[in-house]
Amino acid sequence: MTEAPLLQLREINKHFPGVHALKNVHFDVRRGEVHALIGENGAGKSTMIKIVSGVYQPETGEIQLEGQRVHFANPREAQRAGIATIYQELGLYPELSVAENIFMGHAPTKNRGFFQTIDWERMEQGAEALLAELKIYNLDVQAKVGTLNVGNRQRVEIAKALSLDARILIMDEPTAALTESDVEQLFSIVRLLRERGVSIIYISHRLNEVFELADRVTVLRDGEYIGTNNVRDTSESELISMMVGRTIENLFPKQAAEIGDVVLEVRNLNRPPLTRDISFSVRAGEIVGLAGLVGSGRSETAQVIFGVLPAESGAILLNGEPVEIHRPSEAVRHGIGYVPEDRGRQGLVREMTLRENTSMAVLESVSRNTFVNRAQERRLANHSIQQLSIRATGPEQIVNKLSGGNQQKVVVSKWLASNPKLLIMDEPTRGVDVGAKSEIHRLMSQLAAEQGLAILMISSELPEILGMSDRILVMREGHLVGEFTRAEATQELIAHAMMSEEARRTAGASA
Amino acid sequence: MKSKTSTPRNPTVAEKLRHLLISQEGVLFVIMLVSVLFLATRTDKFLTVDNLLQQGRFMTEVGLIAIPMTYIIITGGIDLSVGSILGLTAIVLGWTWQELGFPLELAIITGILSGTVAGFVNGLFIVRVGVPPLIMTLATLALYRGLAEGISEARSARGYPEWFFQLGQGEFLGIPTQLWLLIIAVVIFGIILARTRLGRALYAIGNNETGARFSGLTVNRYLLFIYTFSGFMSAVAGYIFVSRVSTTRSDMGTGMELDVIAAVVLGGTSIFGGTGSIPGTIVGVVLIQLLKNGLTLSGVTSDATIVVIGSVLIFAILVNNFIQSRRGG
Repeated sequence: MTEAPLLQLREINKHFPGVHALKNVHFDVRRGEVHALIGENGAGKSTMIKIVSGVYQPETGEIQLEGQRVHFANPREAQRAGIATIYQELGLYPELSVAENIFMGHAPTKNRGFFQTIDWERMEQGAEALLAELKIYNLDVQAKVGTLNVGNRQRVEIAKALSLDARILIMDEPTAALTESDVEQLFSIVRLLRERGVSIIYISHRLNEVFELADRVTVLRDGEYIGTNNVRDTSESELISMMVGRTIENLFPKQAAEIGDVVLEVRNLNRPPLTRDISFSVRAGEIVGLAGLVGSGRSETAQVIFGVLPAESGAILLNGEPVEIHRPSEAVRHGIGYVPEDRGRQGLVREMTLRENTSMAVLESVSRNTFVNRAQERRLANHSIQQLSIRATGPEQIVNKLSGGNQQKVVVSKWLASNPKLLIMDEPTRGVDVGAKSEIHRLMSQLAAEQGLAILMISSELPEILGMSDRILVMREGHLVGEFTRAEATQELIAHAMMSEEARRTAGASA
Repeated sequence: MKSKTSTPRNPTVAEKLRHLLISQEGVLFVIMLVSVLFLATRTDKFLTVDNLLQQGRFMTEVGLIAIPMTYIIITGGIDLSVGSILGLTAIVLGWTWQELGFPLELAIITGILSGTVAGFVNGLFIVRVGVPPLIMTLATLALYRGLAEGISEARSARGYPEWFFQLGQGEFLGIPTQLWLLIIAVVIFGIILARTRLGRALYAIGNNETGARFSGLTVNRYLLFIYTFSGFMSAVAGYIFVSRVSTTRSDMGTGMELDVIAAVVLGGTSIFGGTGSIPGTIVGVVLIQLLKNGLTLSGVTSDATIVVIGSVLIFAILVNNFIQSRRGG
C-alpha cells in the first residue's frame, strides 16, 4: 500500500464563530483501506468529514482526489466524485420502499410515448443486485424503510451509496445504535467493501472497533491533527493518550464516601408494564447503579420517581417523609434532579443559551418578584463553566453549538444548580468522549463524597456500573431482579442477572 | 468573522445602536418609517396628528389581542378563536344589558368574564385533553361564533348611555382613551415577556416543550394561563369595539384572527415558536394599520390596498430573513 493516496487533505483550516474548528489539518485515504478517525467530542471529526463530503468548504488548504485538486461546492458535487456519507441520523425516507430509497434521485426510467416513468421492475432488480453484492439476501426491496430496524436501514444506506458508485464511504458512528448481531454484520460488509477497493473513513468512539476493522487510524484533538498510526503498530493506551493529550490512569476515579441516612426510598412502586413492584433505597453519599438491558424498565422507573410517568401505586419517601410526585415540577421541588437519557430532547433547550439552560431548574431562586435576574444567572453560568470545565465561549453561547460532552455537562450543571438531594443520572456518559466522561465520573464521585449527594445512576456500560457504584441494582422486564454490593459484584454476576431467566428476585430494599 | 474580536467588554453606544438596527424589530421599524414617509408624499391628509390618533383608535383592538397572540405563538401554539371570542363578548354584553336587564356595569363584567371563560376552555382542552391548539381553536372559532349568533338571534343592541362611549370614542389628555390602554398593556406585557419567569418559560416551551417539562417548569399551568389571557384580552377588545361603534352585532370581529396573526408574524415572531417579542408585534400592528389607512387616503382602491399589504408582508419577511441569515453566518 505505497501508491499515491486516493484522497488527500492538506493544511485545512475552518473557523466557526468563536471556534477554530480545524487547524492545519492533514488527512489522507488510500484505495481500499479502512481509515479510522478518532478524537474526543469537539475534536473536529464531524467538521472534517463535512468538508470531505462537501457540506462545508475549507477556508484554506486543499483537497486532492487522485492527485487532482478538487473543490466541492456542495454535497452533490462530492457525491458525483464518488464520496458518499452515512450519517448518524440516517437520511432515508421512511414512507418509501427499500428500492426507492436506494435509487432516490437516479431511478431507472423507461419511455412511454411522451412520458418517462420509473421502471419499477428494473429498479427492484437493481436494488436486489446491489444488496446481493453486500451478501444481504433477506431484505425485501418492496418493504417500507420505516418498518425496518436500524441495522437494516443502515444496510439500505450502504446500498444506496454503492448505487452511486461510491469510491469513498464515510461512516459516522455507524454502530452507535446497533445491536450486537447488527454490528457483526456491519463489520463483514465493511470488510467486503474494502476487498472490493472501496475506501472507508470510519468514525467511532469505540476503540475496540478501530482495532477490529481499521488499517490506519488518525487522531484529532481540539481541531488539530495529532497523528496517523498503523493500527498494527499502536495500542489502545497510546491512542487514548493521543486523544486526550494525557494518560488516563484511572477511568473511574471513585472516592470512598461516607454513606449516610436514607435519602430516597421507594416501596412497591408500580406502573406497568415496565415498573412492577419496585422497592429500593439510596442513601446520602451513595452511588447506586441501576443495570439492565435496554427496555428492562430502568429509565421508566427513573421517570416514575421524577414524575414524568407518575406511579399508579406504591410510595416514594424522601428523607423518610412520604411525598406525592405527579409531575416533574413536583419532583424538582422535592429536591430531585434528573439527567435524562435523551439529552437533546429532554435534557436541554438547545436553541437557548448556556445561561438560560443552567438556570432553568432554578428560575425561582434566580429571580426576584418574578423578574429574572440576569446578572445572577450569568454568575451561575460562569460558575458552572468553571466547575465542570465546560468548553464554551461564555454564558451567552447557544447550547446547540457545543459538542456532545459539553452539552451533557450543561445538563449536569443545571441540576447541580438546583442543589438536589437526589440526582438521577440516566446514561450520564453516553455519546460523550473519553475526556468528558472521566470528568463527569470524577464530578459524580466528588459530589457523593464531599456533599453527600445521593446518586442513582443508570448505565448500559458494565465497566461504568462496576467502577462507579457503591451498590448495584439489576432490572429485567420491569422487575428488580438483583442487588449486589460493590465488593461482591462482578461483570459475570450482573450480566447473568440482567439476562438470565432463573435469576431470583430479591425481596425488599436496602442492604 | 471580519469584525475584530475583542475581549469581553461592554458594547459602545454605536455598537448597541447597530445591533438594534439589524434586529428583527429594527429592520421592521425602518420599513415602517420608509412606508410612512412615502405615504406622506402621496397625500397630505395622512401625516397629520388627527389622522394618526384616529388610526391609533382603530388599531387598539387588534393590538390588544396581538399581545397574548404573541405569547401563544412563541410557545408554538395558535389561537384562531379570538375574533369569535370578541364577538361573543360583545353579544353577551349587549344581551345581558338589553334582554336580561343587567345594569350596564354588570353587563360589561359578564361579557368580559364570558370571553375569559371561553379562553380558559380552549386552554383546558389543549392542556388536559391534548387537542392541538390549531384544531381546538378552529373548533371554537365556529362554536363561539355560533353561540353569539344563537344568543343574539340576529338582533343588534344599541342605545347605550353616554358614559359607555368614553372608552371607545373619548379622549384623555388629547389621546384616544383606548390608545392609553394599549400603550400601558404593551409596556407591561412587553416587560413581562422579556424579563420575567413567565416570559422565559414561554420561550423554553416554544423551543422544546419536553425539555422545559423535564426541567421542572410547570408547562401546563403556563399554557392554560396564556389561552385564558388570550380570551380575556379578546373580551376587553370586544368591549372597546362595542363602545367605539355604539352597537352590538354578532358578526363583530369576524376574520380578525388573521389580522392579529399577520401582525404578530410580521413582527418577527416565528410561527414555529421559540422567538418573538412584543415590540416587534406592535410595530407589525402599526405598520399594517398605517398602510391600510395611508393607501386608502391616497385613493388606492380597497382591493389594491390588500394586495399592497400582502406584498409588504412578504417583502418584510424576506428582508428580515436575509439580514438575520447574514448576521448568523
